[in-house]
Amino acid sequence: MIFNIRPAQANDLSAIMVIEQDRFASDAWSVELMSSELAAEHTYYFVAELNDQLVGYAGLSKVESSEQADVQTIAVARSVRGRRLGKALMYRLMDTARDLGATELFLEVRDDNGVAKELYSSLGFLTIDRRKGYYQPDNVDAIIQRLRLNQGKGLGPLILGIETSCDETGIGIVRGKTLLANVISSSMDVHARFGGVVPEIAARAHLEALEPTLNEALRLADVRLDEIDAVAVTNGPGLSGALMVGVAAGKALALSLDKPVYAVNHLVGHVGVDILERGELQTPTIALLVSGGHTSLLLVRDLLTDVEMLGETIDDAAGEAFDKVARVLDLPYPGGPEIDKAAAGGDPKAIRFPRGLTLPKDMEKNRYNFSFSGLKTAVARWVEVAEDSGEPWSKSDVAASFREAVVDVLIGKAINACLDHGVPRLLLGGGVIANARLREVARERCEANGIELRIPALSLCTDNGAMIAAVGSQLYMSGRMPSNLDFSAHSVLPVTTVLSDEEEWSLRHD
Amino acid sequence: MITLAIDTSAGTSVAVLRDEQVLHEVNFEDTRSHAESIGVAIKQALNEAQVAFNDVQQVAVGIGPAPFTGLRVGIAAAKLFAIGLNSGARPASVYGVVSLDAIALSAIDAGEVASAENPMLITADARRGEVYWALYSGVDESGIPIRSEGPGVEKLVELKADLVARGLSVNHVVARVSAGELGRVLVAQQAAASASTDLTPLYLREADAVMPVSNRLAGKKVSG
Repeated sequence: MIFNIRPAQANDLSAIMVIEQDRFASDAWSVELMSSELAAEHTYYFVAELNDQLVGYAGLSKVESSEQADVQTIAVARSVRGRRLGKALMYRLMDTARDLGATELFLEVRDDNGVAKELYSSLGFLTIDRRKGYYQPDNVDAIIQRLRLNQGKGLGPLILGIETSCDETGIGIVRGKTLLANVISSSMDVHARFGGVVPEIAARAHLEALEPTLNEALRLADVRLDEIDAVAVTNGPGLSGALMVGVAAGKALALSLDKPVYAVNHLVGHVGVDILERGELQTPTIALLVSGGHTSLLLVRDLLTDVEMLGETIDDAAGEAFDKVARVLDLPYPGGPEIDKAAAGGDPKAIRFPRGLTLPKDMEKNRYNFSFSGLKTAVARWVEVAEDSGEPWSKSDVAASFREAVVDVLIGKAINACLDHGVPRLLLGGGVIANARLREVARERCEANGIELRIPALSLCTDNGAMIAAVGSQLYMSGRMPSNLDFSAHSVLPVTTVLSDEEEWSLRHD
Repeated sequence: MITLAIDTSAGTSVAVLRDEQVLHEVNFEDTRSHAESIGVAIKQALNEAQVAFNDVQQVAVGIGPAPFTGLRVGIAAAKLFAIGLNSGARPASVYGVVSLDAIALSAIDAGEVASAENPMLITADARRGEVYWALYSGVDESGIPIRSEGPGVEKLVELKADLVARGLSVNHVVARVSAGELGRVLVAQQAAASASTDLTPLYLREADAVMPVSNRLAGKKVSG
């Protein structure tokens, strides 16, 4: 159930009036008044559509010189009551007011409108005054309420994010679009002995780390669990045993807090995290996500409704290739930083290693797909031959040449995607983004092609709970229904599923 | 005292108890859908028992022995459910109970023989041709099953041959864990002040991870 909320236009008037007259039987505004409201310079009206039908509207008033804004009106059609649309419209007004520089938002509500009063109170509005008999002819009091927009609930809902898809136990806490805490506990040290992530060890570590990581996040965010508005949890893609720990934890926590739970796609989390740094995700954007588990190229037209997988690796993830080649070169795990170190001073052009799926014949079917398994084998064979020959060889040259091949393919395909789709933005995510050469080449080629490059802070690029909370927060504010309690952990969850098993509408929610 | 009891050592079993009385128990038999079932099971058990979430005062969870993946689902859920409860006014503790003890209690209640001379052997599927097992010699004065040996993991044939070799004649019982029985074990342990808050899962097996034999054999996927 996805509502499209957009600024109102003059020709929305008649559809608005149908709802207005139905919802405010005794004190509806006149067509003239509504028309002038829509047209006024200091007002900001929004309408909500469902399947191209107008099903709700809300208006804000804010004069330029003032730091105060007022909710003028809000109404949703009877047919969609209980679908969280009122909340979604209010979050839109709060966002708009804040963007316009307001620090306080005021509203008045009929004392006999229990549903509205409950909604406003859940958003953090507090009663500051009462006007006796304000609403006539019914002679009902008006309750005047205020919300401070720059603190607490005025910044948006408080969302807890849980991420356990690989070897990082991540708990993030986000207020609206503001990051409050991002705590990560990694079992990487244990995996180092094995030269790669061992799924069972990762899953065991998640169970151990959940509670301390959660407590640390709550401490840093300085919030209590009972203040949380919703729980968001990664349900895929990832290692299934690891995912299940987070899924079980998220469901149980949401149940005992009596709060909704949102099952969020891990890859969409890597994209949505940009909101925490920039306050919004600029779309459309191409996203290149590179880690030990994923190598994916996404076209994101809208974070919550339109994410398309352009391509991904058909064998090893790029991070895996780094780990495996590190082993070939007798370097420790994780391979990425070690190969970066070894490559310093090496000649990236010393050896021409193969660039997977870049030949003309591959570019038809696999234009945006990646393959690193041939490259890894080529490096292993090159080293074997060099060793057998007895001649000295340079580890730095091999490391630099290998890294160059990986980076060349990753960035080359990402730039192609931007140019092919006319998208002037590239967002990077995933742990491999820490690679210095990758960032350097991305900067050079984006600049050369007039593409804006976004690289979030490294702590937000690697797997983390904050990115899951960020997407959860967007879902919550947009009025999406939470997930059904029986959602699964999906090791191969498609990226088009931003939110899993959205609940059917029922009267239990409003 | 309201107890929420959870066990995911075989299927997904959740029960709500008032003291030692089981108010309602929900069971999902599927041994591969714990993550899907756990939320629904908890909600359904509480609703059917007509107990509000906030009225739960403690959580009992089966700590195995059991196959890895499912076992963790129950323990993770129990931990986080209790943490959520703790954010409210009333603190709630979470206790670990050996899952096989619940089967033993239920079998002894049903009249199965368990004595020092004729111990009861409880086994549960451990996959890979093995069973998790423990021996019980009865219940103590608090009503707690007396585990005389185990838990362990072994091939059933070898385990039985071993017991025969020792001259032991055992009463072999195979059954699914009931969360209601698990909750009753906890209540009995609490009466005897022997309840444990240790939630360390009894995997009884190391994670299947192999050290890379040689660095040159790169590309071998390490899996578990």
